[in-house]
Amino acid sequence: MIKIKNVTKKYGDKTAVDNVSFTVGDGEIFAFIGHNGAGKTTLIKAIVGIHDFNEGEILINGKSIKDDPIACKMDMAYVPDNPELYENMKAIDFINFICDMYDVDQETRTENIHKYAELFEVENVLNDQILSFSHGMKQKIALIAALAHDPKILIMDEPFVGLDPKAVFDFKKVMNEMAKEGKIVFYSTHILDVAEKLCSKVAIIKKGKLVKTGSMKEVKGDKSLEKVFLELEG
Amino acid sequence: MSKTLRLLRVCLTQDMNLFKIQSKKASGTTKLLVPLVLACVVMVYMGAYTVGLMEQFKPMNLEYIALSMFCAIFSFVTIFEGFYKASSLLFNCKDDQLLFPLPVSKNIILFIRMFKFYAFEFLFNGMFMAPSMIVYGVQTNQSWLYYLVSIVALVLIPVVPIVISCLFGFVTTYISSKFKGKNLVQTILTMSILLVVLYISFNYDGLLNLIKDNALMIDKYISYYLPVGIYISLINNFNLLTFILYIIGHIALFGITVLIIGKVYFELNSRMKSVSVVHNNKPYVVQTRSRLRSFVKKEFNRFVSTPVFIVNAGFGLLVFVAACAAIAFKYDAIVGGLAEKMEGLSPDVIIGYMPVVLMGLLAFSAFMTSITSSMISLEGKSINILKSLPVKSSMIVLYKVITAIVIMIPCLLLGDFIVIFAFKFNIISVLCILYATILLPFIAELIGIMANLKYPKMDATNDTEIVKQSMSSMVAVFAGMALAMVSVGILVGLAVIGLSNNIILLLFLIIFTIVAAILWLILTKISDKRFDEIQV
Repeated sequence: MIKIKNVTKKYGDKTAVDNVSFTVGDGEIFAFIGHNGAGKTTLIKAIVGIHDFNEGEILINGKSIKDDPIACKMDMAYVPDNPELYENMKAIDFINFICDMYDVDQETRTENIHKYAELFEVENVLNDQILSFSHGMKQKIALIAALAHDPKILIMDEPFVGLDPKAVFDFKKVMNEMAKEGKIVFYSTHILDVAEKLCSKVAIIKKGKLVKTGSMKEVKGDKSLEKVFLELEG
Repeated sequence: MSKTLRLLRVCLTQDMNLFKIQSKKASGTTKLLVPLVLACVVMVYMGAYTVGLMEQFKPMNLEYIALSMFCAIFSFVTIFEGFYKASSLLFNCKDDQLLFPLPVSKNIILFIRMFKFYAFEFLFNGMFMAPSMIVYGVQTNQSWLYYLVSIVALVLIPVVPIVISCLFGFVTTYISSKFKGKNLVQTILTMSILLVVLYISFNYDGLLNLIKDNALMIDKYISYYLPVGIYISLINNFNLLTFILYIIGHIALFGITVLIIGKVYFELNSRMKSVSVVHNNKPYVVQTRSRLRSFVKKEFNRFVSTPVFIVNAGFGLLVFVAACAAIAFKYDAIVGGLAEKMEGLSPDVIIGYMPVVLMGLLAFSAFMTSITSSMISLEGKSINILKSLPVKSSMIVLYKVITAIVIMIPCLLLGDFIVIFAFKFNIISVLCILYATILLPFIAELIGIMANLKYPKMDATNDTEIVKQSMSSMVAVFAGMALAMVSVGILVGLAVIGLSNNIILLLFLIIFTIVAAILWLILTKISDKRFDEIQV
């Protein structure tokens, strides 16, 4: 479970995230939506322990990211919005590196890497340097590295950007499977129709403040998510 | 024109932030304090050195040679350093995607990159040359005309070294672009040229004595180097036409170089950026490693794929090996030469102190080589990958230090063993040298990583900006210089007291073990906080 309690993050005088609270339960796919600059990436970076925050608390499976960051990170995988990978490494070396850091045993990583490399159709380029990859290919490598260590919580910042339609389709299936296994998928997105179909819960953030959160049904009612979002943002 | 100037302003503001210090709490004054203190120390030292040098030339009434020498020496240093900076600064920029689509000529982009290179060297050289110009002016009661000519010379003197470096960078890039392993070819080419230049420089033994004894000859040679020669002739005998031609000549030279390189700049830049994809048909290997091994592999990979990083670190280490080989295989000439200059010391006595000499050389090489001072900055935006990993920040920092030591030790050991076998050291000396081979790089790299944690530069458009022009690399170099001097001072001091080799080495190692322990304690205390504060 992810529990965000009254989190505030400031950059100097500017409040990027203002007293935000919500909970994501096990087995949920959670969409985090908002305008550019609304504070989505800032909050995501705080959840995964990249940024510190000024007030509040973030609990990952009952452990505080501030007090016990290593235990929290062991449960999570993070896919950034722009995959800034180690370009001089081969893709397989990068994935192995991430697995080494998460102490993934040989059997699990072999199985997972093979499974997801096949799914994203990248087995034949895993021996190539990341430098030669397109944005979408890098995104696929970032996703494989994140999934290879079998995380309980998958946190992603706009994961569909750059992916080809087949990869998006396949990855949505992976997200659903993870949720069925009781894992959490938390991601930010601007593609509202996908979020509407895929996610069980949603949170809308505006200028750092949470304006609406709850189950997809509660938030959108009889309207489309896009309409609700535009009304709230308008 | 206004478009070019606007673009130049934006690029300089964005990239030339040598003193940009990312810290949450530091105020503007605090941010400037360290660079200002460093600059003042260097300037005062250079001023004092000029006074000393002028004293040498006073009897011959040739004080101006002190001035022309400084200008010539820093021109040479700029060319020497520029050899391995130019290629990367011109052809390995990350802002290509931003600049090339703009509706400006490709030559303007090249001009901006060359100007950025010039601007840094102007600031850096100015720190060294301005004090000597001021000291000379004050000591010889010069008029306002002298100061005017000197200010213009200060601005213009880096131009020719920059032009030479850029042409060299252009040629090495052109040659290496023809090969598949571009980085490797470029590294080998650059390193070879640097070693040749260094070999020639080494043959000018006893520089100060040579200068003193051959002042007139040096004056003649320096005058052949026009940027300095004309400056000296202008301050001795001002001529307006020469002065105007002096200014126009430099500007024209810079412009012509832009036009020459500009002919193929875009094509060459694109070729350097193109990646030759070699599909490896072998099946990929899933391999489990320990965290330490995996991390060292990742860091080593980054090191070997960055030519400027290899040349910067590798050059000092190669010089150490070369110096050790010279001591071992040419010791008759070297020791004989030293004995001639040091009254009261016979060649046998000097050979007897060889373990101390090696320790001094080792300290000098280790302290002057800082790899970790760039390692955090080189992460760039990918530092977020590290921050999201379930690894303590202090461990990440430690892994980087270990990688740097692993890179340094083979070269240092090679040099050690050459001297150890040539002079048949006793077992205590051997053990002391081996311990120092780990301890001294450890200290240098602790200082480097602390400097990089304090002054990270995460938004560089170029690896060279990080490795050669960042605040952390400057701090590490100056701190290394100070430590190297202190080391040599301690060794000489203990030898003068008349202690035996073994005692000198043991005392030296005790002192530096304490230094390492203190630095380690400080690092473990600050590393988590500082690393977590870095935001991109």
